[in-house]
Amino acid sequence: MSEDMEQSDLERGLRSALRAVDPGEGFAPRVLARIAVEPAQVERPARAGAMVSWLAFGLAASVVLAVLLAHEWQVRRLEQGREARRQLIEALRVTDEKLDLTYRAVNSREGAATAEHSGA
Amino acid sequence: MSGDGECTGGDLLTRALAGERAAFGAVVRAHQRLVFSLALRMLADRHAAEDLAQEVFLQLYRNLSTVSSESHLVFWLRKVTMHRAIDRLRRAPPLERAAPEEATAAASETEPGDPLLERRLRSLVAELPPAGRAVVLLRFQEDLDPVEIARTLKMPLNTVKSHLRRSLAQLRERMTETADVLT
Repeated sequence: MSEDMEQSDLERGLRSALRAVDPGEGFAPRVLARIAVEPAQVERPARAGAMVSWLAFGLAASVVLAVLLAHEWQVRRLEQGREARRQLIEALRVTDEKLDLTYRAVNSREGAATAEHSGA
Repeated sequence: MSGDGECTGGDLLTRALAGERAAFGAVVRAHQRLVFSLALRMLADRHAAEDLAQEVFLQLYRNLSTVSSESHLVFWLRKVTMHRAIDRLRRAPPLERAAPEEATAAASETEPGDPLLERRLRSLVAELPPAGRAVVLLRFQEDLDPVEIARTLKMPLNTVKSHLRRSLAQLRERMTETADVLT
């Protein structure tokens, strides 16, 4: 009981001893004066933050653009390769046909010459 | 506060957020007692307390957009003041710190009560370790309950309670010693 009493006395004493203290009339003007002389420092974090986010955005956009360009270049190379292959196959086919015709022509001439020879 | 008397804290905050310096000045005046008192009792040095209190309000000016209401503002001011004070006490070598008496002498304002006893109590609070001192100040100066103190100091509730218990025991013991010396 007496300890509780002491405790509450102590707490009452603390509340009274620790009452708030005013820094005085000049405090707010001094804070405003500090804000006035340090506007750059006060506003810099916001500006720096905006600059950092713009830089990050620019960097990200550049990376995306580079990836897209690389992809486009790769697709074009593949298409060019396919076109070259198609043209080569076509050229080979045409050559093959020509060779076939020539072979037939030679064969038919040889056949006619042999028949003439044997008839004579 | 003349001219701002009719404005609520929320109005002042909105106007300060819109860039009105006078409104921010009114916000400072409305809360300077709270911030300065906490800083003074934590640092036990009037000049250091004034400097810290100014820094707290500069930080508020920079971060005004993050404060959503009057009650949030009070919570924010208590939190930032206590964290800055604890940081400063950790950084400052003990020799550079002012004698606790400086704070106790500066704090006396005319109020009922035993001035000598109150002065002694303030002196003993200033001798508590920083975390214990912060808990005692928030409990008896700001009248916060342990849950609110835990939120303000980002401390587990049980740690707050044990700081409070230990600090009160220490204060009671030292007060008893003082009383024994006087009788």
